[in-house]
Amino acid sequence: MAISDVKEYTHLTVEEVEQIGRELDAIRADIEESRGAADAAYINRMIKVQRGLAAAGRVTLAVGTQSKKTRKPAWVAGAALLGLAKILENMEIGHNVMHGQWDWMNDPEIHSSNWEWDTAQPAEQWKHSHNYIHHQFTNVLGHDNDIGYGILRMAREQKWHPANLGQPVYNAMLASLFQWGVALHDLDIERIRKGEKDPKEMKRQLRQIFRKGRNQIVKDYVVYPALSGKQWKTTLTANVTANLTRNLWSYVIIFCGHFPDGAMHFTEEELEDETRAEWYLRQMLGSANFDGGPLLHILSGNLGFQIEHHLFPDLPSNRYAEIGEKVRALCDKYDIPYTTGPLHRQYGQALRTIIKLSVPNGWTSSNDPAPPERPDTANEPSLDRGRKSDEERQPRRTELGAWTRSPQERRHD
Amino acid sequence: MDPAPRAFSELPSDPELRLPVPFACGTSGYGGPRDDGAPTARVLDGRRVTQCALSRVCGVCGAGLGRPIAFLGSRLEADRNAFHFPPAHLECAESLLGAYSGITVPVLGQEDPVTSWVLVTTPAFEFVRPATEDLDRRPTFQPHSILDERVAG
Repeated sequence: MAISDVKEYTHLTVEEVEQIGRELDAIRADIEESRGAADAAYINRMIKVQRGLAAAGRVTLAVGTQSKKTRKPAWVAGAALLGLAKILENMEIGHNVMHGQWDWMNDPEIHSSNWEWDTAQPAEQWKHSHNYIHHQFTNVLGHDNDIGYGILRMAREQKWHPANLGQPVYNAMLASLFQWGVALHDLDIERIRKGEKDPKEMKRQLRQIFRKGRNQIVKDYVVYPALSGKQWKTTLTANVTANLTRNLWSYVIIFCGHFPDGAMHFTEEELEDETRAEWYLRQMLGSANFDGGPLLHILSGNLGFQIEHHLFPDLPSNRYAEIGEKVRALCDKYDIPYTTGPLHRQYGQALRTIIKLSVPNGWTSSNDPAPPERPDTANEPSLDRGRKSDEERQPRRTELGAWTRSPQERRHD
Repeated sequence: MDPAPRAFSELPSDPELRLPVPFACGTSGYGGPRDDGAPTARVLDGRRVTQCALSRVCGVCGAGLGRPIAFLGSRLEADRNAFHFPPAHLECAESLLGAYSGITVPVLGQEDPVTSWVLVTTPAFEFVRPATEDLDRRPTFQPHSILDERVAG
């Protein structure tokens, strides 16, 4: 379901939305004030562990595969260690460093300007497609390219096409080749097809992708296998397995962030003159968490706290659990949905959406939850949640730039 | 990523003020059909400002930021620790400062002419979206800790 007025959807008054904004500002300020040596030690420890895992995996494959007796266990152990290292590097380290979560340390290496991660997409392009496009236009149809990655229909408002029948297959391919799908993400094939892409920029991006992709291939499929000598094939297949594991894992985690039931889509009307509080609210409604222990959260880059990550993408990820308790209490206080559940359920719901939306809307029912109801507004007339025409849009107060309150909000006064 | 980054010497020129127009001003000549107007150094493009903040690209040339991060603004902005012009490379900010010193009209989104520009460097910044109660409904940048501050003009 796509909603065009978040405040109406949640039955919140303007003042309540602003109060939520102030409370979230306070949560942010608390973390900023207490951020320090313990947080710095955390990220340094993560990097040390990740590098240890990667080195152990490479050495195990290079040395352990030389003897027939140890070859199989070395393959299993090497692939597992390397896969873990890649997951940790991409999810908890690279993704979060590139958000600027650790810039405050002023470390020349652990900085959003300098970090280049162990995956095919150049960091610069990720910072555009993810940090800007996805985080600014979260779940806004027509703006956020993460809604289906340009190949999957993920919202009922998206027009169905017979090509969507192949979604289950496209989905399996996207999951298996995720790093390559992400590598091409910022190119925006749709805009290239429409001739809207600056040719100079397209060439520059293609050069970056080629260089990065080539380096990744040379590293994992030429250099390290070569170090295993005659056993190069064993190391090569282990490296393929490690990359495939990382691809599948990161795909699952990312799809759990915005596509389980309860994570809302929005129309572009919501973007106009959005205040900080309204932006917060859209991030909360458009994201979904999953439950788990500390190890699961670390391996998923703390994206099990997707709601908190979208509220504060530049606060250190190791603090999201602490932030999550406060955000959840805030949601309870204002009767705002806080979408969460076990990982398998969240992914199951995302997968169900992919399969359901491969066919026309009329063939399936929606799994979108009912809008939240508050005891004090339960008897009020239901709201028209359809997309508004220009005439129906709320006029804006030009002196402040804010939306004029809707009739629904006026009734709260 | 709409336009390719450009070196300072290749920035489009404002036909009225004869000044190089930085990426954050987002003109049709720079980055696609945003509007049909001529490049102008007077105002900032809100979309570009947000893009610079989140993509972590330089507000002058449009390429990825480095370290340290530079902010250019008025004395008032520096005192409030709230800059309107997005982060920039130090070299780009210095070039912009050189080109804009002595300009007697409001430029780069400033409401009044800036008589003395302030250039600060920082390792990190916070992007602050406007709140309802803010009279100025533009986002600002708050440098975390100032490494260096220079005044020009």
